[in-house]
Amino acid sequence: MNDAVAPENIDPIDPIDRLAILAAALPGAVVRQRQITAPFDDVWRVIADMEQATPRYEPSVAHVRVIERHGELLRLLVEDSAGHEEPMEAKLRSGWCLMQSATIVIAFAARPLGSQTLLAHLEHLRVQTPVPSEKRSSYRRAAEAKIDQELETIERLAAQGGK
Amino acid sequence: MLALDQLLDELAPYVRRLCARIAPAAADDATQEALLAIFRGLPSLHAPEAIMTWVRSVTVRTAMRLVREPDQEIAAGPTPADGCVPSFEGLADIDDALARLPPSQRTVLVLRTREGLSEQEIATVLGIPAGTVKSRLHRARATFREMWES
Repeated sequence: MNDAVAPENIDPIDPIDRLAILAAALPGAVVRQRQITAPFDDVWRVIADMEQATPRYEPSVAHVRVIERHGELLRLLVEDSAGHEEPMEAKLRSGWCLMQSATIVIAFAARPLGSQTLLAHLEHLRVQTPVPSEKRSSYRRAAEAKIDQELETIERLAAQGGK
Repeated sequence: MLALDQLLDELAPYVRRLCARIAPAAADDATQEALLAIFRGLPSLHAPEAIMTWVRSVTVRTAMRLVREPDQEIAAGPTPADGCVPSFEGLADIDDALARLPPSQRTVLVLRTREGLSEQEIATVLGIPAGTVKSRLHRARATFREMWES
């Protein structure tokens, strides 16, 4: 009478809950969320448009190219503002976006809130630079402020229909 | 992280099913809390080959805690407290019958019949003596039998 784990019988997990669960496994991950005054579809159009939208809300990214796509799975080439190019893997579906490279993990989760949208954003440096304990809280505040700024920009882009 | 995402897809149905059986009135909260505890503990898991045993243990303890400490909303659900006499009116199926057992009896019965654990393994998961498991199982089976025969 044992119940085997059956991948084909996957119960949906709310994307915001999923982000919180995965963040629990990543010590040092920074997660922020914002109630965006735009409908879910408009917000998600911005997140899903990686090539056009990412450089507009993430100041350290100059260009994104999708080089492969198999269903939800994507391979990307991301060029930073210094001209350094790094490959990334991504998983993208409605309400859930996860990107990772050798150095960083980025995730977005969203769910509709009436005519608005709850959007959560995670950033995690996979190679953590040792930070003196007295500076940890200021580093964290800076990381949170950066994500808050990105969420604000995404809200503006969503309100403009991604233009 | 993509691997963690896939692991979550594989574990979530199992955790949800176990929580629904042990804490039917608090299954959603128990599932989320158990998965948070599991993923928080992953970096310090020393024996990856024993992950399912550990996942089961964390899930059962989380679900039991939520049954014992229900908030107002959860308390309004159908879960009877230990010592209450379960109502047999309108019994629909086995899961319905399980849901009407007192939580401590329901948990040992689920672990024995659905998870296939031995009495000693159940004692280890719940942190109680094997003799207590045996007596709870005896009472749970008696109550369950009474429900079906009534």
